[in-house]
Amino acid sequence: MDKLASMLHMTPAIFWMVVKVVIVFAGVMSLAAVWTWVERRGSAMIQDRIGPNRARLFGRWPILGLAQIAADGIKFFFKEDLVPTDANKRLFWLAPFLAFVPALMGFAVIPFGKSFVSGGQTYHLALLDPGNGMGMLYPLAIGGMAVYGVLVAAWSSNNKWSILGGMRASAAMVSYEIGLSLAVISIFMTTGGYDPSEVISAQGHLPWAWNIVRQPLGFIVFFTCMFAETNRLPFDFAEGESEIVAGFNTEYGSMKYSLLALAEYSHLMTASALIATLYFGGWQVPFVKDPTVMLSVASFLLKMLFFAWVFVWIRWTVPRFRYDQLMHLGWKVMLPLSMANLIFHAWRMSQGH
Amino acid sequence: MFITFALITLLGALGMLLQKNVIMAGLCMVATFFGVAGLFVLLANPVAAALQIIVYTGAILVLVLFVIMMLNSHEEEKAQAPRPIQRWVSLALVAALAFGSVKLVLASSGLKALGESGAAVPQAMTLQKVGTALFADHLLGFEVAGFLLLAAMIGAVALTKRNL
Repeated sequence: MDKLASMLHMTPAIFWMVVKVVIVFAGVMSLAAVWTWVERRGSAMIQDRIGPNRARLFGRWPILGLAQIAADGIKFFFKEDLVPTDANKRLFWLAPFLAFVPALMGFAVIPFGKSFVSGGQTYHLALLDPGNGMGMLYPLAIGGMAVYGVLVAAWSSNNKWSILGGMRASAAMVSYEIGLSLAVISIFMTTGGYDPSEVISAQGHLPWAWNIVRQPLGFIVFFTCMFAETNRLPFDFAEGESEIVAGFNTEYGSMKYSLLALAEYSHLMTASALIATLYFGGWQVPFVKDPTVMLSVASFLLKMLFFAWVFVWIRWTVPRFRYDQLMHLGWKVMLPLSMANLIFHAWRMSQGH
Repeated sequence: MFITFALITLLGALGMLLQKNVIMAGLCMVATFFGVAGLFVLLANPVAAALQIIVYTGAILVLVLFVIMMLNSHEEEKAQAPRPIQRWVSLALVAALAFGSVKLVLASSGLKALGESGAAVPQAMTLQKVGTALFADHLLGFEVAGFLLLAAMIGAVALTKRNL
């Protein structure tokens, strides 16, 4: 590591920062792209179809239709870039970035592997080092910013369906944020810290000491709220083919649409990484007390990709909710459950557990 | 860094004042809040920055924009009778406020101490410290604020629901 850094005329710290930025952003982006393919193949599997299998690499190797991702990307780039006449042009351009940038930024605080020491220097496998003072508040803040992508895209399109979709989605996201935050707060309480690395080390390597076992109720609330936050089915109120066409992205095409779609999948990745970190011990390997760095990264990736698959799985098996059912669930079920969870853990802590 | 965030804040605030389109004005305000959050980070208070973004940009402004979109009036209304004196009065007031605040800062004892002994490296604020400060030093104020918010919440529900 030090040799490579000195070859590039950089200090090891700066070199490591650049490497981390590339790993995190490129990793999340390419996983998001791969997940569009997983979604299509997965839906086909669940619905007993074949799914995309025609695209071939150089017209020769089908590799399970994986070339579809590249084909989609090339197609999106070369499509005509249409802006509706009555749209607010500046905001119409801005909206995909407003959606995409927070989606990528949310991942920055999550430790995706064990920290290691090399050459007298500690290297942390998270973009923001532990002890930055933001901790788990950061993904919550960035998640709050994500609403603007949907809202601005919806309003700037100047289309009634878009506005309807954007307004429902943002209302749902704001309502579910409360239950979500309360679930996260009870984790802060039992951990005694709010830095993700503290949350992970407090859970330890034994699966029955992970937060999923300690706070099953909190997990249910958090998991449900994540579906509303990422705007995924069964809570996809930004869209809704049968009611409002494609909702907030009805007017979008070409690369701008592609950015909106990628933002959704990046959110999905961040959400699964958060679930893995908060409730499943992050990079901890079950029953291995002191795993190697590569093993810890593999463990984290496995957990994260499993939850990303659960997002796809649920999308194609659970029917959609109606809007009033969604609001009912959010305010009258999830919020009280989350409060009960918080008060129960506060009571247990006051009893000295 | 300070200049960047200060410029974001000020330009956002100016944009909010000058934009005729209400939604654009709202988005300019988002930029302002973002800049303020950045300034909080520079002041070694990342907790306040995170809370600023969660509460103000993530919740309050979303609801404000939401209501503006619901009302479907996106242009600022023209004044019925223009009163140019308002501008001059407001300009004078802003100038007086700016002059007063700059004078207060320059005359404060903290600035003098900073000039004599140099800046101490600040301790970063953590959530634990905020909690201790709220529940140990300012318990009464915290409870009163909580009570006030509860009363406002009940009032809002009572106003919007016609038959309880």
